[in-house]
Amino acid sequence: MEFVTPTINILIVLPVLLVAGGGALLMLLELFMAEERVKQWAPTLAIIVLALAFLQTIGLWGQTHTTFTPEGSSPMVILDNFATFLNVIFLLTGFFTVLISVNYLPRVGLNRSEYYMLMLFSLSGMMLMGMANDLILVFLALEVLSIPLYILAGLSRPRPESEESAMKYFFLGAFSSAIFVFGIALTYGATGSTALPAVLAGVSNGGALALAGVAMMLVGFGFKVAAAPFHMWTPDVYEGAPTVVTAFMSVGAKVGGFAAMLRVFVSAFGSLGQTWVPAVAVIAAITLIIGNVVAIVQPNIKRMLAYSSIAHAGYILMAVAASVNSPDGVSAALFYMFAYLFTNLGAFAIAIAAERKLGEGVMLDDYKGLAKRSPLLALAMAYFMLSLTGIPPTGGFSGKFFVFRATLEAGLVWLAVVGVITSVVSGYYYLRVVYLMYMYDGEGELHTKPALLTAVALTVLATLVLGLLPGAWYEITKQAALQGLQVLAGG
Amino acid sequence: MVLFIILAISAVAAALGMLFSRNAVHSALFLVLNFAIVAALYLTLNAPFIAMVQITVYAGAIIVLFLFVIMLLGAEQLRGVAGDGGVWQRWLAGGLTAVLLISFASILFQGNAITPASAAGVIDTSPAALGLRLFEAYVFPFEVTGVLLLAAIIGVVVLSISKKRGQQ
Amino acid sequence: MDALQKLMFNFFPLLFLFPLAGLLLNVANGRFWHKPIAGIIASSAAGLSFVVAILQWVALLRQPDGTVIILGTWLQVGTLNVPFAFQVDTLSVTMMLVVTGIGTLIHLYAIGYMYGDPGVTRFFVYLNLFLVAMLLLVSAANYPLLFVGWEGVGLCSYLLIGFWFDRGEGGTGNANAGRKAFVVNRVGDLGLILAMGLLFWQLGTLTFDDVFAQATAVFPVGSPLIVAITLLLLLGAAGKSAQIPLFIWLPDAMAGPTPVSALIHAATMVTAGIYLIARSHVLFALAPVSQTAVSLIGASTALLAATIATAQFDIKRVLAYSTISQLGFMVAAIGMGAYVAGIFHLITHAFFKALLFLAAGSVIHGLEHGGHSDPVTLQDMGQMGGLRQRMPITFAVYLVGALALAGIPPLAGFFSKDEILAAAWQANRAVYIMLTLAAFATAFYMGRQVWLVFMGEARSETAVSAHESPPIMTIPLLILAALAIVGGGLNLPGVHTLGHWLGHTLGHGELLSFNATVALTATLLALLAVGLAYWLYGRHPLGAAATDPLTQRLGPLFVLFNQGWWVNEMVEWGIKRPFCHLSTVLAHSDEAIFAWAERQLVHTVQRGTAVLRRTQTGQLNWNVAGIIVGLLLIWLLLRFS
Repeated sequence: MEFVTPTINILIVLPVLLVAGGGALLMLLELFMAEERVKQWAPTLAIIVLALAFLQTIGLWGQTHTTFTPEGSSPMVILDNFATFLNVIFLLTGFFTVLISVNYLPRVGLNRSEYYMLMLFSLSGMMLMGMANDLILVFLALEVLSIPLYILAGLSRPRPESEESAMKYFFLGAFSSAIFVFGIALTYGATGSTALPAVLAGVSNGGALALAGVAMMLVGFGFKVAAAPFHMWTPDVYEGAPTVVTAFMSVGAKVGGFAAMLRVFVSAFGSLGQTWVPAVAVIAAITLIIGNVVAIVQPNIKRMLAYSSIAHAGYILMAVAASVNSPDGVSAALFYMFAYLFTNLGAFAIAIAAERKLGEGVMLDDYKGLAKRSPLLALAMAYFMLSLTGIPPTGGFSGKFFVFRATLEAGLVWLAVVGVITSVVSGYYYLRVVYLMYMYDGEGELHTKPALLTAVALTVLATLVLGLLPGAWYEITKQAALQGLQVLAGG
Repeated sequence: MVLFIILAISAVAAALGMLFSRNAVHSALFLVLNFAIVAALYLTLNAPFIAMVQITVYAGAIIVLFLFVIMLLGAEQLRGVAGDGGVWQRWLAGGLTAVLLISFASILFQGNAITPASAAGVIDTSPAALGLRLFEAYVFPFEVTGVLLLAAIIGVVVLSISKKRGQQ
Repeated sequence: MDALQKLMFNFFPLLFLFPLAGLLLNVANGRFWHKPIAGIIASSAAGLSFVVAILQWVALLRQPDGTVIILGTWLQVGTLNVPFAFQVDTLSVTMMLVVTGIGTLIHLYAIGYMYGDPGVTRFFVYLNLFLVAMLLLVSAANYPLLFVGWEGVGLCSYLLIGFWFDRGEGGTGNANAGRKAFVVNRVGDLGLILAMGLLFWQLGTLTFDDVFAQATAVFPVGSPLIVAITLLLLLGAAGKSAQIPLFIWLPDAMAGPTPVSALIHAATMVTAGIYLIARSHVLFALAPVSQTAVSLIGASTALLAATIATAQFDIKRVLAYSTISQLGFMVAAIGMGAYVAGIFHLITHAFFKALLFLAAGSVIHGLEHGGHSDPVTLQDMGQMGGLRQRMPITFAVYLVGALALAGIPPLAGFFSKDEILAAAWQANRAVYIMLTLAAFATAFYMGRQVWLVFMGEARSETAVSAHESPPIMTIPLLILAALAIVGGGLNLPGVHTLGHWLGHTLGHGELLSFNATVALTATLLALLAVGLAYWLYGRHPLGAAATDPLTQRLGPLFVLFNQGWWVNEMVEWGIKRPFCHLSTVLAHSDEAIFAWAERQLVHTVQRGTAVLRRTQTGQLNWNVAGIIVGLLLIWLLLRFS
């Protein structure tokens, strides 16, 4: 037997390597430096690593590459505009997470360099989700994304809420991963390969076995993106995890799940499109209804945002369902996630500023009178709430607009109606926050440090830009969808 | 075929034994039995390497770990934890399992369920061939697995350290 | 288009930029300046905007076919192209003139009314913001842009209703009123959104000109889709313009400061629904069913609200129900295709209803600054009386407004209402009867109000110590009173100035001839109603503690009217409560079971074992069951799709 080196172009995976390497570097630093110094430098180092990865990612825009191509077989990794755009989302998520964590972690007594390490590892997993061209790699990326999150959720152990959060996330995550792997195995059984191009070629002849694979993989993705009825972990995990971690996973894990879901379902299972569209559409509708209706009675901002994030998964699922019959589905999903990134992280940034101690100051009642205590932050929060509701001129409105349009184009009129009605319902609980902030008096100090304020300012700005000039940005997501999201055979 | 039927029945029996045994040690031993039978199934499928991995990793390492934990916690005897759900929860679980079984059984009885595609997989499963594949086709996933394990190790450290701090 | 006209159209962006600059100036410097400056800045901004609107009008006089001004691209995606485009035609310029003209007067008045209020800068910022949004609404050249203005005015309305958010019932009454307005309006917005979605789905465009051009070709008359679209538009209009069944927010909206009630909840914003239907008249012409629905809803709203207004005691609530009733007149008119009559009534109503509200504000202001200031009794007509001598100017202008609203010739209300009645006479007798009855009730409740407030003797200390308001408030009142007197001249029967003018946009042909029978009946009925009011309230003026004589005359009907036919309660019990219950029940099935299990744990189990035990208590089981159910659901959907 001869060893044949696969074709490797390391520059393609360089952003991922930088991010994962940054995590490893942090770990090594602890060997040589005092723990306190490492803690001091960890956020800066994380920002540098993210910035380098960002530059490399931007440099790759517009190009399509594959790498790790073994002799006579499909490449493992593919980097097209789709993956590049998602990498930008992930890196920005990491960037904002660092900004909101810098002062929060010491304040609540969780300042540990492992936090940044695990965050970077998780980020590298997310980035791979969009780049994977093989189901095996999809699964590994999913685990690299998830395992650090399980640990981060339990970071404030021995707080019972945090422990519960980590345990629950871990058990259910493992369970859904098992179903996901089972799905991969069945797909392999039906098509004889795990490489996405081969799956694409074989899946339509795969019969019921392939369908079972599709169903099980949909469950795995549905769990990651918190779609109903796989959502039940979300409120408990979001509530128990430290708020910065909640912020990180509410965007990162969700977008990561959708990244791989779009690649696998729209490309590799594309030929089964007409079969899985009804399933995804029904899941989307259930998700929209449960997320938006149950959010109304939540007294805790983190639980409220958890149900809200479930609801937003529903809107993105609408776009996924639309992507088979409408050319705008994928780009609408990408745009929605891009807008969601800024709006949601911004809202969480303010929730973090309002959190007094670990787990205190997170009730909605704590937002009473915020407008008097800090008019600008309250204004920003109100703006994020408007954006989450989908009122113009905000990025959230533009995102909803594109998603609904794509859904209508795809002929899923009933789903669009469900989406519009539930988004009207959502106004009730989002605006309640605005109402509490402006119409009541209350007290409690706000922790506003420059880093956090920078994050808020940038996210407000981005949400505003996406709200006022969505056209130009939509063109970019359009390019990402058209010159990307393929599965490439190689050799 | 006869061999398969015998092995399959005893695998399912072992799995059921694990589920219904009231004694945790017995459960663990039933699990060993189950793993071993599955390893034998792999052997009949001409996959000796996987069979050996199955024995060493699962039946060896993991079960030993299980037994240690059971002994340390002193939890040999599972008390009747009915849970708060009560009987209806069991019925729900039973019902769901039945529906799931029926739906997957329906795949088997579907004419076109198993297509020739899976038959194409006559792969050389010798350790050498597997090793080569690992470093040719699957070198990147292999690396990623490294990151995964690293993250898991850090996680164990993080969680156990915070536990110590909590106890102080 | 000649050069001069082009030049004037170039000034168009200033229409928005002036109020925008005003609000930015106030935001930036508000807290450093002496308070009245904020009002002066805001009023000048509104006034300059009015000048720009006049320039647009002059430009249109030269060539009345109108134009579309495109200021830039907003959304350009695939087949959908939504530019920042503005429609300058006779309809939109008419609306601009009303909005900025009345707006300026109300801004001026508010300087006096809000003098000394700590939040005065915030007030004027909201007011200018409202102008921007409202102008956007009336000048947009496509539905999405109109929708932005639509939401914007809704937002301003919400902010201004809750302006004194610490007042009202239980300290949050005003804030709740704001929220109610917002939520009810969202129901209407839903209709507008869905209508836009359907239009885009069918026509692939949302620009007015294209939509109207294609609609006639794509939709056959009366096809289900166009009926659905127009009914959805009607739902949107019913929300904004307070029609059955969505009118419940408007009376509560009176919690806002009185200038707000005058500007937003009488003269301008609530007419947005009428504007929407008039703008979409091409679509409605294709759906006769919807037209009938529009006119029936309008007429029944007019009658229902007029009956309610006869039995109110709060001076502003009478006017609020009266506004709903008059909006019903307008909606009924445009439903019958009498667009000019509807818009004509919109204009005259803006004159005299703004006048009435501002004069009522002057009354409240006069009572408030007489030394007694209990906000509940300040608006209670039972506590007033005899204000004629103490507030002579206010009395005079109020009388003008009341007569105009009652439809007594030759005041403005007579002409516009008469056109609507004449149109109804021709189109639909049921509508005609309902509207005539409503007009009768209108004249009655206005007579009742004038006698209760201004005539007789003062019935409370507060009323005794009242005094006239300052000139900054009375001058706008006098101007509006003059407009309410001569406003009818805009569209005199036989001359039809407004009819010809709007004809350039809405289509010529609607030049109703004067119908003497209808006019005479209406006038006689109005005089009869005023006489009735005199008979009840004028002959024997009410004493200090006397009950309203109407209570006995009407008996249970009075309670029905006073309680607003219990529509509020019906909505509360029929829609709001069940919805809240549903939400709670859903939430319970999702988590309450586990919350209970958790409580048990917290009490009984030590923390160390809590996690392990928790895996046994059903929570995780439940989650896993959810995953399995989901898997089965997907599987079934995949197999059978």
